[in-house]
Amino acid sequence: MTSESQEPVTPGPAPQPAAPRPGRRSFLRGLAGGIAGGVVAGGAAGAAAGYHGRTTPADPAAVADEAALTGRLNAVPFHGTYQAGILPAPSRATAVVSFSATAQHKRELTDLFQTVTDRARFLTAGGTPPPVGIDGPPSDSGVLGPTVVPDGLTVTFGVGSTLFDDRYGLAALRPVHLTPMKSFPNDDLDPAQSDGDLIVQLSAGNTDTVLHALRDITKNTRGGMQANWRIDGFTSPARPAGTVPRNLMGFMDGVANPAVTSASQMDSLVWVDPAASGEPGWTAGGSYLVVRLIRMLVEFWDRVDIEEQETMIGRRRGTGCPLDGTSLDAIPDYANDPTGDVIPLTAHMRLANPRTAQTASSVLLRRAYNYDRGLDQVGDLDQGLIFTCFQQDIKRQFEAVQTRLIGEPLVDYISPFGGGYFLALPGVTGPGDYYGRTLLA
Amino acid sequence: MVMRHRRLPAAACTVLLAGLAAALSACSSGPGQPSNVITVSSNQCGGRWQVPGPGWHTIQISNEGTSGAEIDLTDPANGAVYAEIENTGPGTVNPITIDFGSGSYALLCLFNDFSPLRGPAVTVAGHVAGSKAVLPVTYNDLIPYAKKYATEEEAAIKVLAAQTAALAAAVRGGDRATARRDWLTAHLQYETLGDAYAAFGDFDTEIDGRADPTGVSSPQWTGFFRLEYGLWHGQSLKSLVPVAGTLNKNVDQLAVWWPTQQVPLADLGRRAHEVIENALQFQLTGHDDYGSGTTLASTAAAVTASRVLLALLHPLIAPRYPQLPQVCTGLDQLQSLLDKEQQPSGWWVAESALPSAQRQAIDAAAGQLLQELAPIASITEPRNTASDF
Repeated sequence: MTSESQEPVTPGPAPQPAAPRPGRRSFLRGLAGGIAGGVVAGGAAGAAAGYHGRTTPADPAAVADEAALTGRLNAVPFHGTYQAGILPAPSRATAVVSFSATAQHKRELTDLFQTVTDRARFLTAGGTPPPVGIDGPPSDSGVLGPTVVPDGLTVTFGVGSTLFDDRYGLAALRPVHLTPMKSFPNDDLDPAQSDGDLIVQLSAGNTDTVLHALRDITKNTRGGMQANWRIDGFTSPARPAGTVPRNLMGFMDGVANPAVTSASQMDSLVWVDPAASGEPGWTAGGSYLVVRLIRMLVEFWDRVDIEEQETMIGRRRGTGCPLDGTSLDAIPDYANDPTGDVIPLTAHMRLANPRTAQTASSVLLRRAYNYDRGLDQVGDLDQGLIFTCFQQDIKRQFEAVQTRLIGEPLVDYISPFGGGYFLALPGVTGPGDYYGRTLLA
Repeated sequence: MVMRHRRLPAAACTVLLAGLAAALSACSSGPGQPSNVITVSSNQCGGRWQVPGPGWHTIQISNEGTSGAEIDLTDPANGAVYAEIENTGPGTVNPITIDFGSGSYALLCLFNDFSPLRGPAVTVAGHVAGSKAVLPVTYNDLIPYAKKYATEEEAAIKVLAAQTAALAAAVRGGDRATARRDWLTAHLQYETLGDAYAAFGDFDTEIDGRADPTGVSSPQWTGFFRLEYGLWHGQSLKSLVPVAGTLNKNVDQLAVWWPTQQVPLADLGRRAHEVIENALQFQLTGHDDYGSGTTLASTAAAVTASRVLLALLHPLIAPRYPQLPQVCTGLDQLQSLLDKEQQPSGWWVAESALPSAQRQAIDAAAGQLLQELAPIASITEPRNTASDF
C-alpha cells in the first residue's frame, strides 16, 4: 500500500467548478430536472456545484462502521498532485474502459472533463445522493444502497494519442511518447479492443462499487464520450496468506515492483518529468499508462509440466521464490548465474528486468489484474491478464521491456489482443481543479 | 395515478420503524431534536409538525390510517409539489427528504376512498432558497391534450392507410423497386406515429411485429417487417401480395379502432421518451433491420414522433422543466446526424455500415437526448390534487 495516510473523508465546502454557459447543452447531469439550486441557465454557481451542495456528505464514522460490518474499504482521498489510483496495490475489482470523445469542440471537451471530475469526486468520497422531487428519475442507480459507499474507489483517467488530432486544437500539446500502441511480433491486436481517446480505470474493493461508478460516469457523460471497449478484472486473495496474489497461470504476479513509498524512485520511474524530458509542461503530475489485454491459453498451459512452467517464468509456482532464492522477495542474483543455469536467460522475469545498471531505468510500476470472460470458438476459456503499468517514458520503459521479451518461450501461451498507450492525467489538486485543466485551460 | 390499496404485515413495519429510528438520528440536526415522525390518517393530515429551520431535513410520514395513501409535500399557496410518496401502506413509515427553503409547506394526504386532506401549513422563516416545487399536472390538465393527440393521430393513420393501399397495389403490380420505395414511405409513416406503451394494442404486432417470437418462416409473422424481409431477400412479389394485402387490411382496421380508444393520460409524456428508448434498443442496434438497411431512417421517424408529442405538450412541460430547450437541441442534433446518412437516391446508409466515428456520434446524441427526455415522463404524470375532487 502507499505511504499516503488514509484520512477519513470530512465534509468540505461545495466544490465550484467552472459554470456552464446558460442555455448550452451541458453534460453536467447531476440535477435531474427542475428542482435545483442553480439550474443550468445562468446559475453562477454552476449546475455541478448545485449537485454537490445537495449531496449529503458521508459521515466518516458511519462509513467506517459500515466498512467493518460489510467489508467495504475506506475512502481513498481524491485530491492530490497525482491521481490516487496509480500507486496503490491492485484492488479486488477493476474495470478498464476506453472511450471516444464525442464532444463537438474544446468547450464541450472541457465540460466533459469537469463532469468526470465531479462524478469521480462524489463517487470516491461517498455520500447520500440528492433525492429528486416529482420531476425526474432517481439521481442514483441505487446499486450500492441509499448511501453511496466509497469502498476504496479510485478513478484513473487518461488520454490517448488520438485526442490530440485536429478536433480539439490540442495537437501541439501531445505528450512526446504518446502514440497509438505499438504492435509487437507476437501480438494479435484487435483494433476494436485497442486504443481510444480516453481511458477510465475504476478500482474498488467490490465489483458492485466498480459497476456503480461506471454506470454513474457513463450516465453523466453520454453526450461527451462513448465507450469503445471495456474489460473487467479482479485480484485474487494472496494464497498462502502473506504472499502475492496469483494470476490465472497459477503464478504470483507483481512480486517485484519499485517501492511506491520511495519518492525518488517514483520521481525517476513513474511520474512524467517535463523539465528533464521535453514533455509539455501540462503533463507534470501525470504518468504514462500502458494497458495490455493478454489472453492466457490456459488449457494449453495446464498441459505443460511444472519444470517448464517455472523455467519460463523464473520462479517457483508454489512459493513464488525466484529459482535461485529462498524467499519470495529474494532478489535474483543474475551476476552469479551468467549462463542462466538456474534462472534461464529466457525466463520471463529475467528478460523483463535483467537487473543491471543499464536496465534500471526501464523498470515499470506494474499493476496487473486477472480477467475472465466467455469462450472462444473451440470452447476454450477466454481469460488472462489485464496488464497495466505506469512509467515516466513509454519508449525507455515499456517498449524496452517488451522488446526484450520478444520471442520469449512464454509467448506460446499468451496472446496480447488489445489495450493502448495513454497518459494518466495529473492529479486533481483541489475543489477548484478538474481533470486536464493544465491541458485545456 | 392508480391508487392501489396495499397492506404490509405489521411486524415488518415495526422492524422498519426501529431501523429508521437509527437512520433518523443520523439525519437529524443533533441530539435533543423533536421527533420528526408525522402521523397521517384519513381524517388528519399532519397535525402540528415543525421544520427545525432551513436546510436538508427528513420528515418521516407514518400512515396510521386503514388504507393506502399518497402523501405529498406541497406549497400551500399553489399546490406545487416538493416531494411525494405513493402507495404507502397502512402501518408503514416512509421518509420525505428535501432542502427546506424559506416559505410555507403543507402535507397533502390522498387516502384511497377518502377525500383529500391538506394539513396545516408550516413556515420556514428568512430568505433562503431550497428545493423547488413543481406544479403537478392533473388529469384534467391532460384531457384536452389527449383529445388533440388522438385527433392528430387519427389523421396520420388515415395517411398511412392510403400509403399501405398504394404499397399493396405496387406489390400486385410486380415491380420490386416501386414496392420497396412504397414500403419505405409507409413504414416511416408508421414509425412517426410513435407507438409506445402498447398504444396500438395488438395492432402493433400485426402491423410492425418482429420475427423474434415466431421466426422468419412462420406464417404467423405479418406486417411491415415481414414484407421488408420478403422484398429484400428475393421472395417473389407474387408471394408477397397476400402479405401486403393483410398489412393494408390491418391498417384499415387500426384506422377504425383508433377513434374508439381513449389515450391513457399517463402515457402521453412517457411516449415522447419511450419512442427514443425503443429506437436505441431496436433501430440503432440494427436489430430491426430486415434487409432494407433503413433503421437510421426509422430512428429519424422516431425523433419526429417524439417532437410531435413534445410540441403538443409544450404548454405543460415548459413551465415545469427548465431543460426543455436542451431537449429540443438534442432532438435537432440527433436528427441532423441521422439525416447525413440519407443518400441522394433517397435510400439510407445501413446502421451496420456506419463508420465508427459516425456511429459513436449518433450513439452519443441519442444517449444524451434520452437523459434529457427521461424527466418528462415524471413531470407529465397525472397527479391528484385537492382541487380535483
